[in-house]
Amino acid sequence: MKSTISLCIIALVLLMLSCDDRNTAHLAPEYLYDAGNQMVIKSIINNKKGTISMLYGNELALQAASDSLSKPNIGAHYTLVTWKQKPMPQWYGTNMNGDIYSIEHLKVVQRNEARFAFDYDFQSEKGYQPGDDRPEKEERIKFITSQRAAVFP
Amino acid sequence: MKKLGLTFYKGAAIMVVVIFLGLQVSSPSIENPPVTTEISVPTDVKQILERACYDCHSNEAKVEWFDKIAPASFLVAHDVNEARSRFNFSEWDKNPVGVQELLLWEMVNAIEQEKMPLKRYQLAHPGGKVSESELAVLKQYVNTLPGRHKVDTARIVAKTSSIQKVLAEKMPVSLNGIPYSADYKNWKIISLTDKFDGGSMRIVYGNDIMVKAIENRQLPFPDGARIVKVVWGKQAEDKEGNVLPGNFQNAQFMIKDSKKYSATEGWGFAKFDGLDLKPSGKTILFEQTCANCHRLLAPENDFVFNIPTK
Repeated sequence: MKSTISLCIIALVLLMLSCDDRNTAHLAPEYLYDAGNQMVIKSIINNKKGTISMLYGNELALQAASDSLSKPNIGAHYTLVTWKQKPMPQWYGTNMNGDIYSIEHLKVVQRNEARFAFDYDFQSEKGYQPGDDRPEKEERIKFITSQRAAVFP
Repeated sequence: MKKLGLTFYKGAAIMVVVIFLGLQVSSPSIENPPVTTEISVPTDVKQILERACYDCHSNEAKVEWFDKIAPASFLVAHDVNEARSRFNFSEWDKNPVGVQELLLWEMVNAIEQEKMPLKRYQLAHPGGKVSESELAVLKQYVNTLPGRHKVDTARIVAKTSSIQKVLAEKMPVSLNGIPYSADYKNWKIISLTDKFDGGSMRIVYGNDIMVKAIENRQLPFPDGARIVKVVWGKQAEDKEGNVLPGNFQNAQFMIKDSKKYSATEGWGFAKFDGLDLKPSGKTILFEQTCANCHRLLAPENDFVFNIPTK
């Protein structure tokens, strides 16, 4: 009799525990990118490619992106981090960044007294598939340096 | 001994009957106030809402006989009052248009996550469940709302020196005492989003405590964790598919302090609108509006939507 009662109590407790549907989410620190001391210039969504990107820059890059005259600053460093988009798990109606797709670095360097040049580097990451196109260097340099900084307080 | 036991049970039974009858006398009744402006949606959408939501979220509650019996009636009255306070399909225009859209998206999410209709309502009203195909109808509908494809075509307004001057003298403070601070510009980014409802794009920053907690997969987040979400409109898509930020809309703060903000799940909420950073909300109740949605839909994430999760 006693053992039946204890068994019932244990069964009840287990049942109550199984009804607790507050699972804990699995955090994904692998989606984070540490841009060091570089600052936010803007974010960019691309729905054709299914990506979302963050353009960071050092002070000279941010300055160039904030000036009304878009002229490359020698010494400007840019980092464009691109993630694959994924639906936000808790909210139907929002896409967010998932796996990192690529990291692009761009530096504006001085070639000689009168001219400047660009050091551009494309690095593929976890979200990049072997068949994906590699971006065309000149196009990317133009794209990155032509971005105006997002306005915020 | 046996006799005593019987008397005890008899006494207890009489007590239960007396309490039960007493409860019936004080039982609340559910009134249906007049319908002022009912929500206007396509017929197929309306039918789903009427069947699954109207018993609590409207002034057309159909109260069954068993809903009127105490103690169940107390629970029913509580649920109806709470539901009408969140949104009421019979007084729909009390919500600004933007809020109406957000509420519709929130409904779809609450149904998708099986948080609504309430389990206890479904138990008593077996027809109350929303099926997969009905949810699809609702999803299709919210995707036709004007905010879904909203494009910010206005010329981008730059920070003016007059606003900068005002802000330099006095930082805005939200009604619950959270001051605006630009510290977040030195924090790391924890996520980027493209929000369809309302048409905005966001950059979400986390302070060191927040970022460390994510790195260590620590949930719930520790006190001192802070998040700032900066929101912009979306410009029209270009030939290559790029969508760039338009005008700044607002900055939203979340501050973890489990004691101070225990009434809102341990998080202090604040929102500052426009480049002049006007604190959002007319009364301190604004923070409950934030907390209600976070509490309902993101309990697994320690009530934060915008964190990187698998």
